[in-house]
Amino acid sequence: MTKEIERLGIPTAQISAIYEFAMTTGANRVVRGCRIEHVCGDPELGAEKDYAFGMRIVRTALAALQTAVDGPTLFDPAEMLEA
Amino acid sequence: MRLEMGTFPVHEVRFAGRTQWHDGVLEIERDALIDLVLRDPRIATAEVEIARPGESVRIWPVRDVIEPRIKVEGPGIVYPGICGRPITTVGQGCTHRLAGVGVTEVSGVNWHEAGGDYVEVYLDMSGPWAEMIPMSALWHVCVVVEPDPALGSEAQNDAVHQAALTVSDHLAATVRDLQAPQGEIFQLRPVDPALPRVVYIQCIHSPQAMSGSLHTFCTTTYGLTQLTPPWFFHPNEILDGAITGPYRTPFAMSWTVANNPVLLDLYRRHGVDWNFLGVIALRTEWTTQHEKQLMANQTAKLAQMLGAQGALVTWDAGGNEFIEVIRTIQACERLGIKTVFLTSEDDATGGAPTMLEPLPEADAIVSTGFFKTRTLEVPELPPVARVIGHPTKPIGPLRDQLAPTAGPLPPPPRYDDHYGFNRLSCAEF
Repeated sequence: MTKEIERLGIPTAQISAIYEFAMTTGANRVVRGCRIEHVCGDPELGAEKDYAFGMRIVRTALAALQTAVDGPTLFDPAEMLEA
Repeated sequence: MRLEMGTFPVHEVRFAGRTQWHDGVLEIERDALIDLVLRDPRIATAEVEIARPGESVRIWPVRDVIEPRIKVEGPGIVYPGICGRPITTVGQGCTHRLAGVGVTEVSGVNWHEAGGDYVEVYLDMSGPWAEMIPMSALWHVCVVVEPDPALGSEAQNDAVHQAALTVSDHLAATVRDLQAPQGEIFQLRPVDPALPRVVYIQCIHSPQAMSGSLHTFCTTTYGLTQLTPPWFFHPNEILDGAITGPYRTPFAMSWTVANNPVLLDLYRRHGVDWNFLGVIALRTEWTTQHEKQLMANQTAKLAQMLGAQGALVTWDAGGNEFIEVIRTIQACERLGIKTVFLTSEDDATGGAPTMLEPLPEADAIVSTGFFKTRTLEVPELPPVARVIGHPTKPIGPLRDQLAPTAGPLPPPPRYDDHYGFNRLSCAEF
């Protein structure tokens, strides 16, 4: 799906728990998600920290969309400074 | 570790006044067997039915088929660990088995309540579906059983599998003290050191991530199904049922794992074509990239430490589990271990690869066919004269329609021949 959207000229970021697989299958902007069961959050953190963690993943994805890439590239929310 | 396997062929199963095996005929005292199952207070209803190969009969819903086996000499019991059985290490001494018969667990108990994962298997004893499934060539002693509906999901799973094991143990006990008509010695003798050293990597699905269950359904290792680092088995342990359990495809049930042709061929050609080192069992369906890669790395490291020069990899599931399987192959190849992958394939709609992540290191793949009955164009299955189990079956993509089990019925959705049992062929054009 990611590849097809990009083929139409729309930059796409894919949040994936299995991020290396997303990269080997040709997604260009891959954002490291948490786990397959909860890709964009972590219920273990409690509501407040889970929200902040989810926000960081989504913001990383938005930053990825604004970044020029040459090929499959990983964006790790853990490496992104708090906004 | 030396195991003598005594085989008692079964050419006919019939109800009679006592339970016994003689000259290939297994006689069953039906009421005594039902009483035995009903001794478990968790069981609400129980029936025992016989299905004959070639008969116009459909068995639904099928959760498992178990080959009756029993320890005659040596420590432990067969099918260890599952349903609270002893976990003593098995694989030594002497085991007897009834060949050509399966104890079939027939129950409406579903695997778990997390959704999307239903018991979908039925068996036909004649017709096109029977020709595709190895267990349709067996006589079936069907244990049609329902638990107390007040039990929790895990207790229901445990109770109905225990019922099938109780019957399996009871039938196998008929040949415990008899002289086996056929015997085979299984032993990893020292062999010519020039022979290539080969390990079997058997990947087994874990239901833990999706259901939370640690032990009550799916193929177990000594009773456990949880996500665990790789195990190392002597093949004799597997012959005694150390890997066993009910499962959601016919090709990964207890009977199929116990009769796995990959294991048996690797074993029988030990000392002839290779030096068979043993079996690494790898649990699959880890849920992060790190976990999947870690299991691949550790499995390959273990294979290397065992001295493997070659590895044969099978798996028993689908979906994201492919990642740890294919990356295990990649990790082995990177350590110089030549690796062969036996697998079924997805359809090739729209030119997509038939495998989830086709890595270049996986360059020796043996396909057992497509895993969807839809891709295989299995026809609607014809009506049958008799049904064992439930009279209706949910059908349709949402399982919201009930059809008479007697048919006609759409085939079960999945075929996936994980261990290369089938005799399907194909024409390339």
